[in-house]
Amino acid sequence: MSELLKAEHLTRHFKVGGVLSRRTLHAVDDVSFSIGEREVVALAGESGSGKSTIARLLARIYQPTSGQIYFEGKPLSAIRSRRDGLRYASLVPMVFQDPFASINPVFRVQHGVLRILKLHRPELSAKQRVDEAVRVFDVVGLGADMLQRFPYELSGGQRQRVGFAQALAMRPKLILADEPVSMLDVSIRIGLLNLMAKLRDEERVSILYITHDIASARYVADRLIVMYAGQIAESGPIEDVLSTPKHPYTQLLLSAVPDPMAPLSEVTDRGEPPKVIDPSPGCRFRWRCPLAIDTCSAVTPVLAELGPAHEVACHVAQAGADQVKAFS
Amino acid sequence: MSEAHEILEVSGLSVDYVLAQHDVRAVDDVTFTVDQGEFLGIVGESGCGKSTLLFAVAQLLAPPARIAAGSVKFEGTNLVGLTDKQLSAIRWRDMSVVMQSAMNALNPVKSIGAQFKDALQAHGKPSKEEIATRSADVMRMVGIDPVHLKSYPHQLSGGMRQRSMIAMAMLFTPDLIIMDEPTSALDVVAQRALMVQIKELQQAYGFAVIFVTHDMSLISHFSDRLMVMYAGQVDELGDTRTIFDRPLHPYTQGLLEAFPSIHGPRIPLKGIPGSPPDLAAIPAGCRFHPRCPHAVERCTVIAPDLYPIDGDLVRCLRRQDGSLPKADQHGSLSR
Repeated sequence: MSELLKAEHLTRHFKVGGVLSRRTLHAVDDVSFSIGEREVVALAGESGSGKSTIARLLARIYQPTSGQIYFEGKPLSAIRSRRDGLRYASLVPMVFQDPFASINPVFRVQHGVLRILKLHRPELSAKQRVDEAVRVFDVVGLGADMLQRFPYELSGGQRQRVGFAQALAMRPKLILADEPVSMLDVSIRIGLLNLMAKLRDEERVSILYITHDIASARYVADRLIVMYAGQIAESGPIEDVLSTPKHPYTQLLLSAVPDPMAPLSEVTDRGEPPKVIDPSPGCRFRWRCPLAIDTCSAVTPVLAELGPAHEVACHVAQAGADQVKAFS
Repeated sequence: MSEAHEILEVSGLSVDYVLAQHDVRAVDDVTFTVDQGEFLGIVGESGCGKSTLLFAVAQLLAPPARIAAGSVKFEGTNLVGLTDKQLSAIRWRDMSVVMQSAMNALNPVKSIGAQFKDALQAHGKPSKEEIATRSADVMRMVGIDPVHLKSYPHQLSGGMRQRSMIAMAMLFTPDLIIMDEPTSALDVVAQRALMVQIKELQQAYGFAVIFVTHDMSLISHFSDRLMVMYAGQVDELGDTRTIFDRPLHPYTQGLLEAFPSIHGPRIPLKGIPGSPPDLAAIPAGCRFHPRCPHAVERCTVIAPDLYPIDGDLVRCLRRQDGSLPKADQHGSLSR
C-alpha cells in the first residue's frame, strides 16, 4: 500500500488567557502518522484529545505551529496559489459531524453538489454536472429525486449521505470524516459505516475516520490511532491493537465500551483528560494510570514499535512488560 | 421486587401535537408502571416519541403538544390536570428531571451553588447552613469536590456538568428521577463512569429511574426492565436481560444487531433499512411492517396489540400466532 499522506512532528498550539495570563494550550503535540491509499484509518480518543484539530490541520483550516504534512510526497506548506489550495481541498474534502448544520437549509440539496462540481471541475458542462450529481448520489445510496429535496425533508442519515456525496463529487483521494455518525441513531449508523467501506473498496478513497466509538472504528477501519491529550498513545492494525492493547489508556477505552453480551467490566476510573496547558515533561496519562512508574513523570514517552506496525508510547509497555494490564 | 410498590402508573397515555392541518399523535396509548427503586430503560430511534413520553410523564409538555388521553398516576395522584402550583410542590421534591444537555439546562450566568440554592428555596425556607450542607452533600454523592459549588457551568467539563445536574436532581432525594439521554454528550469513559455512578446512587438512596436512550447497549447492564418504543407505541416491554438474550420483536432484534461489537469476529451488519415513519403518515397495520424483514400480508392490514408472550409484552402478529421462527440467541434470525 503506497503512502498518500504523511504527517511529521505535527504540532498545533493555541494561545489562551489574557495579556497577563498568556498561556499555551498544546492541542496537538509532535504527532507523526501516515495514511495509505485505499485505507480507512480511525483516529480515536476522548473529547479534547486533539482529534478534530488534526482533521483541521489536514484540511488546511489551521496552519501547524510546527511540523509538516506531506500529501502525495509534496509538503502542504508549498501550497501558495488559490488554484493549488482549491485542488488540495478537492482531493481532501471534509465531512462534518452535524448533518443538520452542514447543509444550507434554504437551497435544494442539489445546490451544494452542483456548486462543488462547478467550482472544482470546471471542465464539465451543465448537463454533465447533473449527470455526475446523479451518479454520486447513487453511489451513496440516494435516489436522483433526492436532489430536488430541501434539507429539512431529509432524515439525519440521508443528510450525512449528502455530505459524503458532496465530498465524492470532488473525486477525492482522502475524505476527512469528523465523527460522521455520532449524531445519528444507532440503527442508521451501520448504513453509513457500510457506505464508508464501500467508498474505500469501490471508489478507491482513503478515509480518516475520527470517532470516540471504538466498536464502529473496528467495524470499518484498517488501522487505529489512539490519541490522548494531544499525543498518539498507540497505533497499529486495528485487530492487533484491539486484541492486544498495550497502552493503559487504550485498555481503559476498550473496557468502557458498552457490550451487552459481555459481563460488565470493573472500571473504577473517573478521571478526565487533562487540559494540556503549558505541560511539563512526562507521560500525560500518568495521573490516571495505575501502572505509572517514576520515569513516567520525568520523561515523555515516544512511540516505539512493539509488534508488526504496532506502536506504543508507554514506558511500562516498552520496558518489556508483555502482559501490561491496567484495565481489563 | 414483589414487595416493592408502584410509584408511577401510566395508563393509556396519548399525546397529540396540535398542528394547523391535522393533529399528530406522537405517543399512542402507552401503559407502564415503575416500581419503587426500579430502573426502567426506554429505547427507540429519534422520532419514536420517547422524549415526548418523558415530558408527558413529567407534565412538562408545552403547546402545541397536549395530552389527549390517559393518566399519569404518581404516588396515587393523577398528575394530568393538576395546576402548575400543585405540580411545583411535587417537582424536584418527589420527582426530578435530568435533561439531555446539561450545558443548556444549567444557567450559564449563575454558579452551581446558586442554582442549588434556588431549588432548595423553592420548597421551604432552609437556613444558610442547611443550604450549604445539603449542597455540599449532594456534590460529594456524585463525586465532585464541593468547591465547585462556586464554579460556573462553563468552568466544568461535560462529565462534571452532567454529574452536577444529577446532584441537583438529588437535592431532595426524590422517589423518581427521569433522565433523558444524560450521557449522549459524553465519550465512552465518562459515559461508563456516569452510568456506574447513577446505579450506585440508586442502590444507596432507593429512588426509581426512568432512563431514555437510543443506545441499547448502554443500559444493558444497568436497567431492570426495558421498554422499546417505535412510532409512538410500545413494541416490547419486559425484563432487560431476557430481552437482550432473546428479543421477540423484529424491531428490537434489528436494534440489537445494529451496533458492532469489539469482541468476536467482524461480521457485516445490515442495520434496519429505511427510517422511522413520519408520525403524520403512519403505515396501516403494524407500524413496523415497511422495515420488517419478516412482514407478511396480514401485517400490512391488522394493527397488532401488545400480546403477553413468555412474560414479556410484544406487539407482533407473527410472534403472537407463533409463525415467526424462534430466535433463542440474538442475531440468529437474520444473520
